[in-house]
Amino acid sequence: MVDVSTIYLVDGATGSEVRAELRDSIEDAQLVDWQLKWRPAHDALIRELIQKGVSRQQWPQSSHWDWRRKAAQVQGLLAFRGFCVLADGETQGMAQVELTKSARAPVQAGKPIVYIEYLEAAPWNSPELGRAPRYRGVGTALLSAAIALSVEEGFKGRIGLHSLPQAEDFYRRRGMVDLGPDPDPGHQHLRYFEMTAEQARAFLTEE
Amino acid sequence: MRLERSKEWWLARARQEGDAAVGAGLLAANPAVEQHGLEAQPAPAEETRIAFGRFVNLMRRRRGYSVEQLAEAACLEASELLVIEEDRHYVPQLRTVFELARTFEVPQQRLLQLAGLAVANDDGLRKEAVRFAARSESMQRLTSEESSALEAFVAVLSEQGPKRAR
Repeated sequence: MVDVSTIYLVDGATGSEVRAELRDSIEDAQLVDWQLKWRPAHDALIRELIQKGVSRQQWPQSSHWDWRRKAAQVQGLLAFRGFCVLADGETQGMAQVELTKSARAPVQAGKPIVYIEYLEAAPWNSPELGRAPRYRGVGTALLSAAIALSVEEGFKGRIGLHSLPQAEDFYRRRGMVDLGPDPDPGHQHLRYFEMTAEQARAFLTEE
Repeated sequence: MRLERSKEWWLARARQEGDAAVGAGLLAANPAVEQHGLEAQPAPAEETRIAFGRFVNLMRRRRGYSVEQLAEAACLEASELLVIEEDRHYVPQLRTVFELARTFEVPQQRLLQLAGLAVANDDGLRKEAVRFAARSESMQRLTSEESSALEAFVAVLSEQGPKRAR
């Protein structure tokens, strides 16, 4: 049973509102979108960067793995708890969460958190190349979902995640605690961020 | 799990998000084309690099492959093939060149030299590469001139390869 919430995104080009769905599951349709839409869009972006002569240092930051390994991992998302945002019949973003981790921030160390193992917006919603994303708000929607799940699980909204370098500002601005680069080499020095129960309460407040 | 919030709540937060990148977790990092050895490798002669990209482009089109289809056939990433065809500064990975040599049925060693991954210490290849690059244009369809340029170059690669590669 997939729960569907109605949410609203903002059209990047016109600034108008866009009705969208937040679903508390990642299903086959998302993997198909990833394979048939996200990846080609990413390739098109790389092609554009080359044609514009953008130096490689300014390309989207990337990891050591290749697409085959990433594809295998994305296929594996079906086995975990996750969320996705749908608009326009397409997957606009996905997140996978884990409920077995503990908090590290001193004020809540050891308490259970919802750990965001993975959160990504579709390439056309990513701000690479300085062009406007097709939809704004996808990342925030997925983050909100993780916080809400944390509340539902009795974790009081506490969440944790490892931010990609280009996204650190986003998580700082959401009020999360920056605990610095993870010492575990498995995380490739990504900075670890945590949201406290208090921050979560503020985040979810209806103004 | 449902999350009920007003339209205004969502819109305010979407606007706050602005143009921020949001990726979290290693899986969110996309494998761009690796810069494998870019600094470590001696820069290959510009003209052979142009020829390598052109060669891959023409061989692919001669077979009627899209970039995706070639990627499939050669077990390679489409994104790397795109860069190879379009960026003459790019130095491909060793495995990539091996797979392309296998797919196009040309000698590995010669293709490595063309790609700048092995030192081509014979001037002949460089000259042929320049000739080839100059004769071929990267256009939608393979013209008969391109076809013959390609044929001639494949012949050069294949004939000279085994003897001179040692």
